[in-house]
Amino acid sequence: MKRYGEHRIPGKLFVVEGIDGSGKSTQLMLLHQWLQAEGYGTVFSEWNSSPLVKETTRRGKKKQMLTPATFSLIHATDFADRMEHNIIPLLKAGAVVLCDRYIYTAFARDVVRGMDPKWVRELYSFAVKPTGAFYFRVPLDVAMKRILDGRTGLKFYEAGMDLELADEPEDSFRIFQGRILEEYEKMVPEFDLTVIDATFPIEEQQVQMRQIVKAKLVQAKRLRVAP
Amino acid sequence: MRETYGVALPGMNLADLTGKLIVIEGTDGVGRSTQIGLLKPWLEQQGRAVLETGMTRSSLAGGGIKQAKEGHTLGRITLSLFYATDFTDRLLNEVVPALRAGFVVLTDRYIYSLMARAIVRGIDPAWIRSAYSFALKPDAVFYLRIGVDDLIPRVVFSRGFDYWESGMDLHPSEDMYESFRKYQTALLEQFDILGEEYGFDVVDASVDIRTVFERLRAGIARVLSGEPREPLFAVPRPKETAEEAGAPKVVELPSPGDVAAEGE
Repeated sequence: MKRYGEHRIPGKLFVVEGIDGSGKSTQLMLLHQWLQAEGYGTVFSEWNSSPLVKETTRRGKKKQMLTPATFSLIHATDFADRMEHNIIPLLKAGAVVLCDRYIYTAFARDVVRGMDPKWVRELYSFAVKPTGAFYFRVPLDVAMKRILDGRTGLKFYEAGMDLELADEPEDSFRIFQGRILEEYEKMVPEFDLTVIDATFPIEEQQVQMRQIVKAKLVQAKRLRVAP
Repeated sequence: MRETYGVALPGMNLADLTGKLIVIEGTDGVGRSTQIGLLKPWLEQQGRAVLETGMTRSSLAGGGIKQAKEGHTLGRITLSLFYATDFTDRLLNEVVPALRAGFVVLTDRYIYSLMARAIVRGIDPAWIRSAYSFALKPDAVFYLRIGVDDLIPRVVFSRGFDYWESGMDLHPSEDMYESFRKYQTALLEQFDILGEEYGFDVVDASVDIRTVFERLRAGIARVLSGEPREPLFAVPRPKETAEEAGAPKVVELPSPGDVAAEGE
């Protein structure tokens, strides 16, 4: 069983992290377009995408039957399925794999829910270490405004309502995201995350991102997309 | 106060878990559920409230695991984590409330089976130990020990070989018999290692159902009466000299009559 940092596979893995409303998904989508145009075999791997565990997760959330521990473990199960059946095979084939959220999301979220930080890190130690991990840093108020404009309602776990932080989902969400933000800041030095200032214009952020990715791909074997 | 094997879970008060957590461990087909079927009414006759629980029965993940196994599509790490999810759901929603209410919780397997299966499938032992380090330490673990040669006829003449119990996911090219033998041998080895580490009470399960039951009954009576188990290991018994050198120690439990007299 290979651990974080021990995998030797030809593909490249880039991940984006940040709180909801940080704009990370937009940036990843733009990076994807560019990589494809450059001729790299590039694949998206999305969080919560495994059909196998999805049903269990969905049921647990719908019935609000998840505790912090089962919440953590069901997401780790889902992530493991993607790691074993999707991400690792793609990387072995030499693809450039893009992930919108990665293990750092779980570390932030589970620790805010009261799980032991070391335990969660060990739980996910089977994950491949990314070639590059971008953290989109944004002040809470900016993110809240982006999220709540044009949103009709927050979901129970999304708002951290299981933590009983506040009666109103919106208040709960604000406190919850604030705590997530604190966890992200702790992880910047711990995991050497590349910080992007997410208050900058979208194009500027994308220029920075492409420069960094380009530098890391220089020596990569290029898996050409079939014409 | 009750302890865990390492980390605590958020919001869990360990101080008021006053019931008894008793684990029956052992490999596939060794007779765990038969014994639990006998132990439960026996405990209830004595006025003990009993919760019986087992693997892959949680309302959260039990169904998902069954489905996944039918398709044989889970990776090794994924399967281990799915089991861990199920275990945790059961621990928090069944075991903990029952212990809080003062029940005797009889559990058909615990983290040890889950760890043994994972390790045999190439999972890092340190990783799986850490994953389960929030589990409550039980009051006793009775391990029904059997050799693979005694196990095979039981399986053949009852339900037959099962895909997972034969480790066919590990040896796809073998026939069921060869695979079962290899897989169960490796599993039993892991159980012995875990038994030493976690201090199992070993019960010889190669003998008849009645004898195994009597030994379990005596052991459980001892746990319920609050007697410390350490002296049982420390005091050498004359019968132990007959054991093979190097074989894991099989604890000779006192006869049921003695314990009933002491216990009440």
